[in-house]
Amino acid sequence: MILTGFSQKDRKARETLALSVIRLVAGGFLAILALIVGYLAWRGLGAISWEFLSQFPRDSMTAGGIWPAILGTFWLAVGAMLVAIPLGFGTAIYLSDYARPGPLLTIIRLGVNNLAGVPSVVFGLYGLAVFVGFMGFGRSLLSGCLTLGALTLPTVTAAAEEALRQTPASFREAALALGANRWQAIRQVILPAALPGMLTGAILALGRAAGETAPIVFTASAALTLAPPESMFSESMALPTHIFNLATNGSHIAATLPRQFGTCLTLIVLVLGLSLIAIILRARLRKGRKW
Amino acid sequence: MVDDGPIISARDVNFFYGAFHALRGVSLDIRANQVTALIGPSGCGKSTFLKLLNRMNDFTPGARLSGEILVAGRSIYGQDSDPVSIRRLVGMVFQRPNPFPKSIYDNICYGPRLIGAKKKAELDALVEKALRAAALWDDVKDKLGKSALELSGGQQQRVCIARALALEPEILLMDEPTSALDPIATAKVEEWIKSSGMSIVIVTHNMQQAGRVSDYTAFFYMGELVEFGPTMDIFTRPREERTENYITGRFG
Repeated sequence: MILTGFSQKDRKARETLALSVIRLVAGGFLAILALIVGYLAWRGLGAISWEFLSQFPRDSMTAGGIWPAILGTFWLAVGAMLVAIPLGFGTAIYLSDYARPGPLLTIIRLGVNNLAGVPSVVFGLYGLAVFVGFMGFGRSLLSGCLTLGALTLPTVTAAAEEALRQTPASFREAALALGANRWQAIRQVILPAALPGMLTGAILALGRAAGETAPIVFTASAALTLAPPESMFSESMALPTHIFNLATNGSHIAATLPRQFGTCLTLIVLVLGLSLIAIILRARLRKGRKW
Repeated sequence: MVDDGPIISARDVNFFYGAFHALRGVSLDIRANQVTALIGPSGCGKSTFLKLLNRMNDFTPGARLSGEILVAGRSIYGQDSDPVSIRRLVGMVFQRPNPFPKSIYDNICYGPRLIGAKKKAELDALVEKALRAAALWDDVKDKLGKSALELSGGQQQRVCIARALALEPEILLMDEPTSALDPIATAKVEEWIKSSGMSIVIVTHNMQQAGRVSDYTAFFYMGELVEFGPTMDIFTRPREERTENYITGRFG
């Protein structure tokens, strides 16, 4: 007791204080979240109706619905994941299991980390230059998916590599000792064990892909379409750009205000829904695989 | 027990990790159907030697080997030898139980499935045989579908033994297989080793364990094989002073 310098009572008080601060911070975080969602719900819920969710916009977007934008965002987000997940998981497997330590590995890892910090508008311009222009996909869902895929690739890769690295080395050893070759060990033992963790990065990326505006302004989105996208080569409306257009370019900005909030709310619910599906999938994969 | 001559022959084996000379001219004949213990202080090379016997050092960066190792008469580091088929001949059990995060059944079937076993009846029979051989069948026969990770540490280690046995290897390598287990689980694993009748090479830190389970003992020190012989002789009348000092606890 001589060494501690604090009485028992003193330490108790400090413990209580620390706990209170932590609770306060966590509570504050929840309060901010509730405030945002609550405000959006309060302002936007009135605009939401079956018509709003299922029809095309009419009368300079002051009437009708946002169905084509919902559809567009859904395809953009899903398509972006179809691009980012195979590439990101593949890169992660290479980095964690095959690449030998050396300058090449350092450069790749540096590239992945720096790519994650590049502003999204830069990806938008890249998409415009490469997918829309050079590759000739035009303004289309495909160009948008590829751009969003490139944008989310670093997040997906970094999270997947981390998950692979956290798989115990003993799994790999055990598989090799039983006569598996390297790829069999990865595919049958390491990948199944790491997959739930790898999906966490993909879930975060999915939300980001659905919500990004700048990358699709140049590459995929149309202000108004009168038919649903016909194929991956059609341009399409999307929720984030629709909000942007309603709030800045419309001829009736004030009149569309409730629809702006309604669209925000729809976007949040859509992202939540997509994430929820992924989270349920992850929980099912995780069953009986905890170590 | 029948003594069938050497199943593993190491001839003048030198092994390097980069610049570190981990094994120095080790020559050793390991006898079939006997238990051979490798003992010695930490860093003496005993685990390194064990891992050479099924080529588990292949992925270690900077590793280099000279000399020759014959398993069942075949040179395992020769030009045309294939590490994957060697590992099916020479099974291994590790220091910490490392069952896969799969069911007990799927753990045991992992090796056989790799070599193409598919039929349910065939796999069922293999699983039962392997679990019986590892003295675990009665404990787990009603919960084969459960995750192996739900078992106790000692049972997990016996699942790992069964998983290795399912490939019907000629030799089983064990790298301090009981160091993560409690005394009761340790006793069960030791009992299994003694009664198995297999060719087993076991690395252990625990000299009492070497005395209890092994027929032959090899004492390693600073990368050299100092002394090798029947366990009884090594423990009661070692020829080398270093062996005597180690087994009497003067260093280590």
